Amino acid sequence: KRMADDKDVLRDVWYGRIPTCFTLYQDEITEREAEPYYLLLPRVSYITLVTDKVKKHFQKVMKQEDMEEMWFEYEGTPLKWHYPIGLLFDLHASNVALPWSITVHFKNFPERDLLHCPSNSLIEAHFMSTIKEADTLKHKGQVINDMQKKDHKQLWMGLQNDKFDQFWAMNRKLMEYPTEEGGFRYIPFRIYQTMSDRPFIQKLFRPVTAEGQSHTLGDLLKEVFPAAITNDDDQKKYQVVIHGIEPMLETPVQWLSEHLSYPDNFLHISVIPTPTD
Amino acid sequence: MSGVRFRAECSWKRHIAEQLKHRDRVQRQAFEEIIQQYNRLLEKADLQAVLAERRQTEKYDIQNRHDLSPGADGGRSETLVQEMSQIRIKHQEELTELHKKRGELAQNVIELNNQMQQKDKEIQANEAKMLEYQQQIAQLEGECRELRSSLQDLERANQTLKDEYDALQITFSALEEKLRRTTEENQELISRWMAEKAQEANRLNAENEKDCRRRQAKLQKELAEAAKEPLPIDQDDDIEVLPEEAAEQAGDTSPTRGACRTPSKRNSQQPPGGLLDSISNIFGRRSLNSFGSSPENAEAHTGVCVEVRVPTTPLHVFDAHDGEVNAVRFSPGSRLMATGGMDRKVKLWEVISGHCELKGTLTGSNAGITSIEFDSAGSYLLAASNDFASRIWTVDDQRLRHTLTGHSGKVLSARFLLDNARIVSGSYDRTLKLWDLRSKVCIKTVFAGSSCNDIVCTEQCVMSGHFDKKVRYWDIRAESIVRELELHGRVTSLDLNAERTELLACSRDDLIKIIDLRTNAVRQTFSVQGFKCGSDWTRVTFSPDGSYIAAGSADGTLYVWNVLTGKLDRTLGKHHSSTINAVAWSPSGTYVVSVEKGSKAVLWSDL
Repeated sequence: KRMADDKDVLRDVWYGRIPTCFTLYQDEITEREAEPYYLLLPRVSYITLVTDKVKKHFQKVMKQEDMEEMWFEYEGTPLKWHYPIGLLFDLHASNVALPWSITVHFKNFPERDLLHCPSNSLIEAHFMSTIKEADTLKHKGQVINDMQKKDHKQLWMGLQNDKFDQFWAMNRKLMEYPTEEGGFRYIPFRIYQTMSDRPFIQKLFRPVTAEGQSHTLGDLLKEVFPAAITNDDDQKKYQVVIHGIEPMLETPVQWLSEHLSYPDNFLHISVIPTPTD
Repeated sequence: MSGVRFRAECSWKRHIAEQLKHRDRVQRQAFEEIIQQYNRLLEKADLQAVLAERRQTEKYDIQNRHDLSPGADGGRSETLVQEMSQIRIKHQEELTELHKKRGELAQNVIELNNQMQQKDKEIQANEAKMLEYQQQIAQLEGECRELRSSLQDLERANQTLKDEYDALQITFSALEEKLRRTTEENQELISRWMAEKAQEANRLNAENEKDCRRRQAKLQKELAEAAKEPLPIDQDDDIEVLPEEAAEQAGDTSPTRGACRTPSKRNSQQPPGGLLDSISNIFGRRSLNSFGSSPENAEAHTGVCVEVRVPTTPLHVFDAHDGEVNAVRFSPGSRLMATGGMDRKVKLWEVISGHCELKGTLTGSNAGITSIEFDSAGSYLLAASNDFASRIWTVDDQRLRHTLTGHSGKVLSARFLLDNARIVSGSYDRTLKLWDLRSKVCIKTVFAGSSCNDIVCTEQCVMSGHFDKKVRYWDIRAESIVRELELHGRVTSLDLNAERTELLACSRDDLIKIIDLRTNAVRQTFSVQGFKCGSDWTRVTFSPDGSYIAAGSADGTLYVWNVLTGKLDRTLGKHHSSTINAVAWSPSGTYVVSVEKGSKAVLWSDL
């Protein structure tokens, strides 16, 4: 039953979708009025990987010469394609009314904020390098290095084609650890904030204490980002969000890492201010 | 503690699961349908836009045309006419196009019609062919029926011929039987005739003698009378001579009588002696050539008819069986010879000019053959077998006639009694059994007390040689031992001479003995350095006239002893490569056959 539950969690995480409304930027030159385009974006994927249809939709009303590289922006913030979609949403639009309204640009690429994304192979390279980094933390990179080229390809194709079973058949190996150690060497995680100079916080953190006690999400935050923890008397200032939900602070980080990591094997945790209303 | 932890664990996990479900409800399920529908509408709208655009352009074209026409009516009608003519041209074009098409279609129709006709023709041809084939089939079936009926006729004819053949075979055997009986009768008549001739000869002799004596007496009387008469002394020359003669005649009569008697006797004896010789010659030759001679006759005439030849050379060395050859026997006519082997077969061989030719194989036995015998007419063959049974075949058609089962051990010997209607068999189960051939049942079982290796029969007595070194004599009617004689080794073989007065016994102490049946005592013992009795069933034999015995040794050498002198007559080696199991001497006396533990048989003679 427990195993089945865990599998359900993996499934729910994989199939998480965000309803999104793409609107063409008002200054873009069109031949006709551009209708908005609606799409359910997969949380675990990358925005440039799943927006071919959006591009096609706007092509119909625009001249070819007016179209440069497409980029996205939400309420003035350019959206980084190298962050998973779920993270972008949780970080920037957690508590707004749905659907998530994204503005589509074909001009004035914000060179300072965004990386160019000329092809999917770039996304793949980024994805694989993130996985390798995660495995380096978890197993000193032994598992990912023992895999063959085709295994790497299977991970990527699983993500690209939204094939849960294909992806997890291989990803399962990355989630293994020696039983006697009770977890990975270090938990691959990143904590994101909207109002910060740093893009994210990332530190070495073990899943179990020296005494063999499991570390919880609370323990992690206490060490890495104590401000996120609310004292009992105080008003809750921050929400700690992963995949659009707020896990309880008692949740063991090892379990979180195994089940709530993104396909790149990182726990992308968003810490956002509690909405005031 | 663990319960609390478990519940705690449950709570955070449940929390996550519920949160995820809630998230999906709000973010996914609420919008899934609406987004899908929106996208569909969008597509429709796009399509509509495309269509509208197209219509717009058409409209625009028409508008343009209208715009092009000048305001004046004439100009307008001109344009109208122009337009009309344009339309007409267009229609004309269309019409010609359609005509062209129709022409093409008509062409097509014609072509298709042609094809159809062709196909029809093909179908007709095929049907004709089919009809032809059907006819052919019917014809062949008819032929088949005819052939079958002719085959049946042939089979019937064959059956008839076979029946006729069988009938003829039966007639033939009946005639043969008749011939045998006639031959027997003939022999009896000859013997009677001979006896009568002898008597007549004697009578003639007596008469001759009487005649001679009478003449003698007459001469004496005349002489006496002559002596009484007075002598005329006045004669000169003749008178001197005459008294000398007379004195001689008167002085010694015996030499004269002897001289007179001898030639007369010779004269009187000559004709009957010649007659006897000629008869015996005829008889002898006939007997040699005759097919079946009853043992009574053989007994009565053996001394006269058989011309025994001591074998000197091997005429024919041949492979008789697959494996060991156990038994061999000549038919009473000496023409046929039978061998029995461990290969479960009895083989019939015809001896033709010093050669053995396979004439047939008698099958039916389930184990090796141990002994063979022909009945006195030579029409049946009896063989004992290791499969506890004895079997009888008819020689002519080589068919198995009887199987006599009842022994609980190997049957080692089986013999016809002299009436040919009963059989005695001796077995490893230490019993002898008497069988009646008419009812095909065992009439009697006698417990002999020891395994019986061989049997021979006289008129009333059966003699059996045993493993316990004893020869036992049985009265057939009394089923009791009349007497017994103990030898010094296991008795392997028994044989009788033609007169059934002497019994030849071979035993494992490598001695062959002749026992006088009248005195029940060993009369002669034969042995020689080198002669070794090879097995418990080594068969030895008398020559048909009883003047020789032949025995095969373990080293493959055949020994022949002369009974009269008691000395070894011949040693015939080198032609057998293993132990000789049995030896048989042809009733004609001409041939001897020896068979061995290997597969070979050797036909010997003095030729």
